[in-house]
Amino acid sequence: MPSWPKETKYITHPTTRVDGPAKVTGNARYSSDIQADGWLYGMILRSKWPAATITAINLAPALKVPGIKAAVLAPALENNSDNFIVRFYGQELAAVCGTTKDACLDALRAIEVTAQPKEAFVVNENEAMKDGAPEVWAGQSNVSPGRPREQGNVDQAFGECAAVIEGFYSTPVQIHNPMETHGNTISWTDDGVTAWASTQGIGGVRNSLAGALRLDHSKVRVITDYMGGGFGAKFNAGVEGVLAAKLSQAAKAPVRLMLTRFDQALAVGNRPSSFQTIKMGALADGTLHAFEGENYGTAGVGASADAGGGGGGADIPMPYLYKVANSRVTQSAVMLNAGASRAFRAPSHPPASFGMECAMDDLAVKLGMDPLEFRLKNDPNEVRQREYKIGAEKFGWKEKYQKPGSSPGVVKTGVGCAGAAWGAGGPSKNTHGEAQINPDGSVEIRMGVQDLGTGTRTVIAVVAAEMLGLKPEQITVKIGDTNYPPGPGSGGSTTCASISPTVYDICTKALQQLQTQTGVADASGDNWFAACKKLGVTPLVAHGDWIDGLSTKPAYGVQFAEVDVDTETGLVTVKRVVAVHDCGLMIDTLTLESQINGGIIMGMGYALYEERVMDDLSGVVLNPNFETYKMPGIVDVPEIEVVLLNMPERGVIGIGEPATVPTAGAIANAVANAIGARVGSLPITPAKILAALGKVPPVEKT
Amino acid sequence: MKAFEYATALTTDSARQLVANNGAYIAGGNDLLGLLKEYLISANILVNIKSLPDLDKIESGSKSWTIGALVTVGQIERHDEIAKAFPGLRDAASEIASPQIRNVATVGGNLAQHSRCWYYRHRDILCLKKGGDLCYARNSDNRYHSLFTGNECISPVVSSLATTFAALDATVIVLRDGKETPMSIADLYQTAWSDTPAHNSLNPGDLILRVEIPTARNRSAYLQVSDKHSFDWALVSCAAAANVTDGKLSQPRVALGSISPVPHQVETANQFLDGKTLDDATISQATDMILWGAKPLEHNAYKVPLARALIRRTLLKLKGEA
Repeated sequence: MPSWPKETKYITHPTTRVDGPAKVTGNARYSSDIQADGWLYGMILRSKWPAATITAINLAPALKVPGIKAAVLAPALENNSDNFIVRFYGQELAAVCGTTKDACLDALRAIEVTAQPKEAFVVNENEAMKDGAPEVWAGQSNVSPGRPREQGNVDQAFGECAAVIEGFYSTPVQIHNPMETHGNTISWTDDGVTAWASTQGIGGVRNSLAGALRLDHSKVRVITDYMGGGFGAKFNAGVEGVLAAKLSQAAKAPVRLMLTRFDQALAVGNRPSSFQTIKMGALADGTLHAFEGENYGTAGVGASADAGGGGGGADIPMPYLYKVANSRVTQSAVMLNAGASRAFRAPSHPPASFGMECAMDDLAVKLGMDPLEFRLKNDPNEVRQREYKIGAEKFGWKEKYQKPGSSPGVVKTGVGCAGAAWGAGGPSKNTHGEAQINPDGSVEIRMGVQDLGTGTRTVIAVVAAEMLGLKPEQITVKIGDTNYPPGPGSGGSTTCASISPTVYDICTKALQQLQTQTGVADASGDNWFAACKKLGVTPLVAHGDWIDGLSTKPAYGVQFAEVDVDTETGLVTVKRVVAVHDCGLMIDTLTLESQINGGIIMGMGYALYEERVMDDLSGVVLNPNFETYKMPGIVDVPEIEVVLLNMPERGVIGIGEPATVPTAGAIANAVANAIGARVGSLPITPAKILAALGKVPPVEKT
Repeated sequence: MKAFEYATALTTDSARQLVANNGAYIAGGNDLLGLLKEYLISANILVNIKSLPDLDKIESGSKSWTIGALVTVGQIERHDEIAKAFPGLRDAASEIASPQIRNVATVGGNLAQHSRCWYYRHRDILCLKKGGDLCYARNSDNRYHSLFTGNECISPVVSSLATTFAALDATVIVLRDGKETPMSIADLYQTAWSDTPAHNSLNPGDLILRVEIPTARNRSAYLQVSDKHSFDWALVSCAAAANVTDGKLSQPRVALGSISPVPHQVETANQFLDGKTLDDATISQATDMILWGAKPLEHNAYKVPLARALIRRTLLKLKGEA
């Protein structure tokens, strides 16, 4: 079996990003920076109705706008633009391309859409579940009930409990808002298609484009040098990719179609909502004994066909991390006239963690137990047990934890904690790559993976440098191109565990070949340049594949939060988060910490600010911008302390997802601990805090 | 976006002439460009007023200060003398938007900005304020809307400078029909109170020239609460100013933002506070007067306790206790 070196120079040390200078100087070209020769702007016309029947679309007026080169119908309308059913506000109808942005905007307004808007639509989960609610899909119930899962004897078990709580916990739809919006520049010529895609899966984009355009895979090349985040929503070409290709074909020019922030809020995925009713009981010694959970949530018009990474559904794992001998879980998905969900960083886990971890604290309070002790009593996982103890020490849990609401004064302090699990994070076996070793000693590693922004290039450079006895900056990493040996999409926290063993294999083989060709017994380190020189004029190319024994899954993690809550204004200030995470053998501790920082900040947005607001009256997304779709700013971000649990014996595991799972639960519990009342609905806004404190006067409904 | 001409005016007279043909003045452009891009307004010509002389000055005086309409919010925020003379104004400026926006946003533009109601601003909603026949906010999601209004529209004024100028009893000098016309803050927003489509009382072609702030009050304070800690609109804001001598207020004024189409001022409360020393009972009574008649809607009733807390804290800050 292969094994990672015990003594390391780079692995498990901090290495700054090898592409950091390119990024901060602007030399790194992101997908949205690509300017192919003769490129045109592309833009999408969207439905302004949440539900309607389109009976005609006339593109001709758009083509008369100066500068406009082509206009096409959205794929779904190609054969039925005289009878097309719109099911959500923002659904794609058509697209145009032209020489300027303004020309495209004018052209979109010029397109004549004849439609019969439907009076009846539904954008609210509770309304959609009622008898007689408007049907999102004609002839189908809006509610797809799952099969109840039951073990033990739940009804009897509740009778045996010393304490029982019933709580209602809800989470909103969270919108995908990576820094770079979705989109591509696509050139379609007689030779085939080249797509510069903002994607987390160049292979997925190639396959989906080839499928939609009826081309051989070999005729589609996808390039992603740099991209600005995907979080699960950018695995495939998407409607916007197919439209860019069709526009390019029609206009005979490359088309750059990057979505706007407005578009982003409507149709490229989101995290489903959850409405969780949890009844839970424990025995007198604190052992969880009975659990009954009912959850419903919406994936909009349905989990998207572009979900790619999967996991865009509304179901959540209940009772999440905890084993309860007697449990009954019922879940259902609710259809709405709203944009579809897609996988979103740790699909289904943040809402599951929020609901269950709130219930854990509420039950601990009822039992009169310290919530941390209650977790240690009931969490079956040995790694998290260790992490809770390390985190509690670092956080000062014993000194800080007080009974709920007992913090003195107007601004009350509270603490909370929560746990995470991420069952994926393991490797993809379908990872390949090659190294070209040049006679001058320079090294190029080529892999058909992409950097989601997490530091893929750096991980490859660190592992290669370690294996070859060189420095990371001596490794030239080439990724983000389907012309390189194929690799997996970056999702499920799998990238690091996929590429690290592959680079190990590539480098091991390169050293073997180098020895065979040059006779130098150990070509690594000090002997490197002398050995390479012996290659003569022809570089050496070594191929490698993912190999077993160097990576694994899953990852765990716990977080502690300390908050101040102003009980007169309702403002929550997160003061400090202590995060303890494991991911087996750590490759680059610096990018690892960055991943965890980012996960916590995203989780904080989920806890306090983010929420897609659908308008019941009009059916539109009311906050398709960063003015009212609120995200944490730097002033909101607390002191974050990351503790890394190094477990090299486990091999490499991904970390991207677990880091965002427990944050909202920990913050919500800290808020409840501060004010002595539960805000069970995310985001926790000043309005909800004041309501939980009983300070909001009742309003007569008019 | 509809094509428009662009011209730079060098005198107020030429600015007025240029703007007469369905034009709009542009300075920082933060609000104007958004309105144009979303087709909320249209203009045949944008008249750049950044080159008009003397409108970018902050001048102190013994009886009053003058702040030109082209002074940026960032200049106010960083002005040491303003921080001493009108600390409430400095604090209000420092809470506006982001540093980048503050560096280009002007006083005139801040006062003249349009409603931020998410229905009014939505490209696919024709609300009452835009000439439609339904106030969506009244019937749907009104979490950010007003507790008071004099018309059918419930979108609140969001200019925190206006709220603070109201407390400081500032006068806005508007060039109207070629004449310098002094307007109180109440005057400047009166039409927004009474007329559904209005955002303020400015007529087409009116140009804000400067704001004059009397020095009669030696103390001022401003506080706001938003969902976030920065770069977010106030859920409620409160400004107060007075002459404070030995803890006793004279000429006190309190104004609130984000709860009414106009900076919310209650003269009886101001009169009640005159000559008082602030204690809990006095503050509570004044607060009752200020919020008397508030009409909370389905989703914005939290603004009542929030406003109460902010009035109290702002008055305590004015007194020097918070």
